[in-house]
Amino acid sequence: MEITKEKLLDFYNTMVTIRSFEEKAVELFAAGFLPGFVHLYLGEEAVATGVCANLTDKDFITSTHRGHGHMIAKGGKIDLMMAELFGKATGYCKGKGGSMHIADVGLGILGANGIVGAGQPIATGAAFACKYKQTGAVVVCFFGDGASNRGTFHESLNMASIFKLPVVFVCENNMYGISNNQKDHMNIGDISDRAAAYGIPGVTVDGNDVIAVHEAASEAIKRARNGDGPSIIECKTWRHRGHFEGDPSVYKDPREQESWLKKDPILNLEKRLGELKFASASDLDQIKAAAREKIDSAVEFAKKSPEPSPDDLLTDIYAS
Amino acid sequence: MSTVGIIANPASGKDIRRLVSYGTVFDNHEKVNIVRRIILGLAATKVDRIVYMPDYFNIIPRAVDGLNRQEKLSLEICKADIEPTFTQADSLEAAKFMRNDGAGCIITLGGDGTNRMVARECGEVPLVPVSTGTNNVFPTMVEGTVAGLAAGVVAKGLVQDAPSVIQTKKLVIYKNGVPVDIALIDAVALRDSFIGARAIWEANRLLQTVTTRGEPHNIGISSIAGYLVPLGITDPAGLAIEFGDGPNTLLAPIAPGLIVPVSIAKHRRMTIGEQVRINKVPCILALDGEREIEVKENDEVCIKLTFDGPRVVDVKAALRESVLKTVGSRG
Repeated sequence: MEITKEKLLDFYNTMVTIRSFEEKAVELFAAGFLPGFVHLYLGEEAVATGVCANLTDKDFITSTHRGHGHMIAKGGKIDLMMAELFGKATGYCKGKGGSMHIADVGLGILGANGIVGAGQPIATGAAFACKYKQTGAVVVCFFGDGASNRGTFHESLNMASIFKLPVVFVCENNMYGISNNQKDHMNIGDISDRAAAYGIPGVTVDGNDVIAVHEAASEAIKRARNGDGPSIIECKTWRHRGHFEGDPSVYKDPREQESWLKKDPILNLEKRLGELKFASASDLDQIKAAAREKIDSAVEFAKKSPEPSPDDLLTDIYAS
Repeated sequence: MSTVGIIANPASGKDIRRLVSYGTVFDNHEKVNIVRRIILGLAATKVDRIVYMPDYFNIIPRAVDGLNRQEKLSLEICKADIEPTFTQADSLEAAKFMRNDGAGCIITLGGDGTNRMVARECGEVPLVPVSTGTNNVFPTMVEGTVAGLAAGVVAKGLVQDAPSVIQTKKLVIYKNGVPVDIALIDAVALRDSFIGARAIWEANRLLQTVTTRGEPHNIGISSIAGYLVPLGITDPAGLAIEFGDGPNTLLAPIAPGLIVPVSIAKHRRMTIGEQVRINKVPCILALDGEREIEVKENDEVCIKLTFDGPRVVDVKAALRESVLKTVGSRG
């Protein structure tokens, strides 16, 4: 498929924006600014970027507890995301949800989710709605390797398959479900193998190669939009940090960590941009500086924003 | 002591062609099952030792674990002493290890791409290539038990030469005068800038190809050669094709279920030792169906056809020859 210079630079911009956001979250969490947990997307930037570049605002995504990358790649507002991490009244959930509940329905972001595997039935339901209403929209469901062991995964794939729903299940296989290596929690090596049980296609791609992810997602989304039903894309990738900030990752083999850091998706893309003469080192530095500036401004916004008022304690809830 | 190597690629049969065409899905448990049958075939021929490539799914240890108690084996099973990276480089390193370790035959499970890596280092050790990939021309669909029996008779020295063990052709890729890689079936120049998802499925990206063989019953780019000038595994010739406006447009199965029109600008037979220059650069060069080499504007790439590719076991011929040699015709 044709991938232009502009598109590739867009990918780079999105990936470094995600990385800057997450690096800032590391710093802010350590300094005690962020109440609640954060699960960071560092190292997995190519997946959200490569997939979401195929979507429009009318399409939907469901996310996970590690959702900042998905939000940014789908066009989420960084100021509101950061304010939510700070627990401020200007945040996406008015400061009541935190990192794991950010959503923007107007942009088709149906929400991060603190429950592993809970996004899958939501995506399936949204895809049913798209088909029923004939909107032409598709849904992308991001989930992790651990989530593919949940009953929700199997029920969702069964239903999506039998109803031929316009949904693409994108597995971010970062090899660990919390602290469990994949080989210790499932009897298969490639999660795409699970597609066969539901009679749908499943493919495995290098999740650290944004172009490979983009190509596979483009074909899967096209297929879903054309009414040919769901599919699974397994993106093999690696989270640079622990399961959550504060997790010392003692369960990871340092040699494994070192070898994956060499396959950093941003470094890969920088190398390719340079080889193609699409951007010089100083061009890339400028893009990174602009991303950091955007994040710094979001932090300022969050810091200056008011705390939620105690009067709002019982608003925006299902029952009071 | 007779030794057989097993290189089973856990990543074969899972690429994007399951989305863009109707590629076979080969889950790794089925590969375990095939290997189990291969091992039993090898045991029946009284091979002494198996050396296997370590992989992320532990295909061979799982195959051994799953054998019934009464089938517990007397043959020794050892892991190739390589540092696995769980990339395609492991197939190359494992083949090198097996060659140096005295393997009399290597069984591969994978597609053309897996065999290309093995062929770079297997030297004179004959291969039994079992197909578990997508566009397979080099490996064939063969029952694991029978593949194991055939590898066993070769490794034991019962059969070693033609017609049971066949010399194949290969392509040597030269970039700026330096040999950088090989291909067993075809090298294809594509109007692309990226390796990305690796596979080829868009006919409008084709610029030029060189093939070692091509038959109308092939799947993949070599099928195009098959519709122009059919060339078999032992024919001392190759084919060079340039795509684009020209006298021939044909329908070719370039991926499973994907039969598309392809326009041919020109084509010609190649003799052994001949080189073809890739004349449209920059491009991406795909080897045996996978995008592999980025060719920049100033690079000069030439592809040479040679007749010193890997030696391959013809499973049917090898078993027939071994029967005739050991018990003779009973008729």
